[in-house]
Amino acid sequence: MRSSRLHVAVVAVLACAPAVAAAQGGVLSRDEALAAVYQGASVEPERVFLTPSQMSEAASIAGVDIESGLIARYVAMRDGVVVGRAYVDTHVVRTKRESLLISLDPAGRVRRIDVTAFLEPPDYRVSARWLRQYDQRPLDDDLALQRAIRSMAGATLTAVATTDAVRRVLAIDRVLETERAVAP
Amino acid sequence: MLRLRRSLKIVTMLRVRPGVTVTIMFVLLGIGLMASPQRDDQARPAPATAPDGDDTEGGAEDGQPVDLAELERRLAVLAEEVERLRSGEDVASAGAALTPSEVRALGLAPSAAATYERDRGVSIAGYGEMLYENFSAENQAGDRAGRGSQIDFVRAILYAGYRFNDRFLFNSEIEIEHADEVFVEFAYLDYLAHENLGIRGGMVLLPMGLVNEFHEPTVFLGAARPVTEQRIIPSTWRANGGGVHGSVDRVSYRAFVVNGLDGTQFSANGIRGGRQKGSRAKAGNMAVTGRIDVTMTPGVFVGASVYSGGAGQGDVAIEGTSYDVRTTVVDLHGQAQMRGFDLRGLYARATVDDARALNQVLGLNGTDGVAEAMHGGYVQVGYDVLSQVSAGGGLGLTPYVRYEQVDTQATMPEGFARSAATSNTFTTIGVEVKPIPNIVVKVDYGWVRNDARVGVNQFNVGLGYAF
Repeated sequence: MRSSRLHVAVVAVLACAPAVAAAQGGVLSRDEALAAVYQGASVEPERVFLTPSQMSEAASIAGVDIESGLIARYVAMRDGVVVGRAYVDTHVVRTKRESLLISLDPAGRVRRIDVTAFLEPPDYRVSARWLRQYDQRPLDDDLALQRAIRSMAGATLTAVATTDAVRRVLAIDRVLETERAVAP
Repeated sequence: MLRLRRSLKIVTMLRVRPGVTVTIMFVLLGIGLMASPQRDDQARPAPATAPDGDDTEGGAEDGQPVDLAELERRLAVLAEEVERLRSGEDVASAGAALTPSEVRALGLAPSAAATYERDRGVSIAGYGEMLYENFSAENQAGDRAGRGSQIDFVRAILYAGYRFNDRFLFNSEIEIEHADEVFVEFAYLDYLAHENLGIRGGMVLLPMGLVNEFHEPTVFLGAARPVTEQRIIPSTWRANGGGVHGSVDRVSYRAFVVNGLDGTQFSANGIRGGRQKGSRAKAGNMAVTGRIDVTMTPGVFVGASVYSGGAGQGDVAIEGTSYDVRTTVVDLHGQAQMRGFDLRGLYARATVDDARALNQVLGLNGTDGVAEAMHGGYVQVGYDVLSQVSAGGGLGLTPYVRYEQVDTQATMPEGFARSAATSNTFTTIGVEVKPIPNIVVKVDYGWVRNDARVGVNQFNVGLGYAF
């Protein structure tokens, strides 16, 4: 009798799970994420080719390697004023790639992070809630796992790769914006 | 020519699949060859013929020169294409796409469906651990322990997976234990119905405790797994069956129906011997198992797990009466990882119905009997002393301490007595070093105490990796 009750309970869980899960959203594309982050702004895509010296400087600031000089960047403007910049960072987590759209505010702080591609098994993907730890973070020493950023059980390598990506993007943005500011 | 070299350099800096890289390089090479004379013409005001001959051939398309603006446009198109290919957002986009109605039926945004439908193929990962154990010459009472020392390559593991399409994937863990025993630790098919819901069938890990599912040596503190998660929760605990898994906001869940344990293999040391490991498993008694975890804030979660099912499997019968030997394991657990601290705690309790009948069938007497109830628990704290130091360069150095109590004969059936040796306390102090997150070296010392005064202390060194 007890066994029957338990099996009924399991069947009930199986029956209810789809309904519960259907209430949740999915992964956003770049366009959807950009529209959500910079609402009402016009967003222009750019492909930036970093010079070797820019790559070296950004790597030094970030403390992580800059593996590609080709940068996908989006500049959001509203009423002629830059309201933010977003970068796509693609990196290997374990053996496969993940792409993040890392959106910044005009001051170069993280505004939001969206996963646009995750080719590892879904078990290793971090949650949107976990990614919110980076919101409003500037590039400083505290932007690191076990410091301002808490790790995620079962997805440590993804957490490491994500933190490296954020540091890389913030450093590249700082280099580019600093050069733009001093340019004649 | 400068532009060609720059384009080639861009490609070499990208981490795109080799085949894609080669294709792109050929495209860039062709455009570069077409483009180079035009650029040279503009860059050099006078000479009609370049010394290196770059200006002599291939500088036109359909007999017309390609102007700089067109080259810039082409380079921008190529850069966009290269970046898109690199991103993984467009991998294997052809074929097997969901129809719009299917996407809606799944409650998925189109881009979410696209992410999963575009990646296929084999994935490989793995981990391993080696353990050196040196036991004290004397036991707790000062008598000769006689256990010596050993070094064991405990586990060498390969994960292999395959994504058939956007909804179905296969994942497995093939394990070689102690260098000469081969096991399948899990091998299942997943149906990814939704970002928050998967349906799983095959040989699965039971969703119990803190270690059973996350048993890579880089994940848990200590050269050896906690004893509670060996004897009360017999990790690595796997069984054949199926069920659901997923997460909804702060809550993650798993629930499976699996084959039950084999009670005829239980002992005074617990239920560990009852694991059937998926090999021709007796399925006369099935079991249900599940867990719920709540992540209150990133890095901090609490949860509970349960397993319940018969273990008689038709083999425990006396005078025509068959006993189910229902076995139930419940645990409460929590973990917090913040600012270098790693706090973990777990309490687990197992009960075995019909233990008296089981002991009678197994011919066990006195203090050798299987208990009606057993329990264990531990608290553990570690602190990465380099975590707040930027100069650490990613090196992790974590001293830890674990206090644990385990009693595999907490309650005995009528007519049986407890052994003074089955209730133990374990105190472990050690340190782990992680040069990178994927590699760990652990050194610890453990004190073992029980009422029989036969506990044997031990010194451990562990080496582990995961990729």
